[in-house]
Amino acid sequence: MRGYRRDAIPGIHWIQECGRHRAEIAEALLEKALEWYSGDRDLHVPQNAYLLDGERTLLLDTLSPAASDHALDSLDELLGDRGLDFLVISHPDVPHAGNTGRILRRYPDCQLVAPRAGETHALYHLDGARLVGPGDEIDLGGLVVRFPEATFLDAAVHTWMTEETTRTLFTVDWLGFPHLGGECLRCTDEIDDEIGVSRLEEFHGRVMFWFQYVDVDRVVSATDELARRFAGYTIASAHGLVIRKDAARFFESMNDVVRRVAASGRGGVL
Amino acid sequence: MSSIELGDGVSWVHECFPERDGHLHVSVYVIRTARGNILVDSGSFYHRDSLSRRIADVTDGSGIQALILSHSDYPHSANIPSFRGQWGDFDIVASCADPDIQGLPYARRARIGETLDVLGRRFTFLDPPLADRSHTTWIFDEESRILFVADGFGTLHRPGSCEQLWGALPTAGRAEGVGEFHVQTLPWLRYVDPDRLMDALRTIFERHPAKAVAPIHGPPIEGDDIDRYLDDLDRAVRALVTDPS
Repeated sequence: MRGYRRDAIPGIHWIQECGRHRAEIAEALLEKALEWYSGDRDLHVPQNAYLLDGERTLLLDTLSPAASDHALDSLDELLGDRGLDFLVISHPDVPHAGNTGRILRRYPDCQLVAPRAGETHALYHLDGARLVGPGDEIDLGGLVVRFPEATFLDAAVHTWMTEETTRTLFTVDWLGFPHLGGECLRCTDEIDDEIGVSRLEEFHGRVMFWFQYVDVDRVVSATDELARRFAGYTIASAHGLVIRKDAARFFESMNDVVRRVAASGRGGVL
Repeated sequence: MSSIELGDGVSWVHECFPERDGHLHVSVYVIRTARGNILVDSGSFYHRDSLSRRIADVTDGSGIQALILSHSDYPHSANIPSFRGQWGDFDIVASCADPDIQGLPYARRARIGETLDVLGRRFTFLDPPLADRSHTTWIFDEESRILFVADGFGTLHRPGSCEQLWGALPTAGRAEGVGEFHVQTLPWLRYVDPDRLMDALRTIFERHPAKAVAPIHGPPIEGDDIDRYLDDLDRAVRALVTDPS
């Protein structure tokens, strides 16, 4: 399913690219006989983009090149006659930034916003972007975004984002997880199953492959600090479902995830 | 100089990118075989024209007939469309679970752990302990015994040392260049247990004894210098986790 949803977080449109059924991951899950996947539904690992709709508009990430038309069509429909004022690239990874050029050509007055972190912006066509990081803020009029350091990340040119009026934390590659057919664009409080440690592990054991080499205590300490700093925030990741309620349980689960990956190794690639 | 020969038909073709603390190589490798030329990674669009000329020089104008991609990060993959336009729709072998999402719908998939034939040459795809993107693979050329390591094993170097192999770099500042590269490029290293990471790296070299290590972002490392590099990396990682600031 490809679609978007307006009401999951007030003022924020959630645009989702689910792509095809991930048969290889599904097969691995069936071999593990996990309780949450019985093989009778499609399995998706989505890309999410978020359009923040204040007096000015801001898009976080672009979906992948496989969903170019979906990204542009969704923006056309959501924005109507309005323009796109800011395009924020969380990190210049293809599934997150692969439609940047097309979106900027469609909205030529849009300002490209990129992470300040890192040293190689010109290698990503980001040297002309407005660079942001901790301490920076963009007031959209009715919505206010900030750019905390990305605590858990892959490459160096990377930022997380918050929207402070709705208290939403955009965690990009962290706190993603696969969802099943019928769960697309649903918030975690709207689906029947509870997202448990093994679902989170299935994602992070692939994407954060480096969990297999960590000192677990260091990661747990960083996660606990996030839990304190962002207590009560809604979590909107790039590869999961929106977590509006009980995010604290997910932070705790992530400590179990890192313990498991550190003990048993990565689960594959994504 | 357009390239440096590493033996067994493998050439290092490199460009430099100036950073605050030194120069960063952005390299590709050309492997000449009896059945055609294989490119390992495609470099950055930032160096597109000069890389194209250098690859043409190395291949005596015959260009590229296949490409093996370590991962789809832009400084590694950005020239694929241009080079395919220049030299034809050559075969692409890439590691990723979903080529469409990575913008590579035409790629043949390489799975970590398997060995594939590319233009009659055998390559084994390894799980990389040092990487940014999760679908990265390291590529072991079974014929030359050169290990292509994508974002691992980089070194920042000083202006004037751009053409030198790692072992020829001035020793003053070389270890610091190893540390600076990894701190800048792989920020997750601040969380690692150095023993676990270094054990994983040394295990790879036990299983795949490499004649040389071929990074994209540093000069190639040959022979006994591999152990010297690992020692420098070990010290750099221990320093990082002791003082992440």
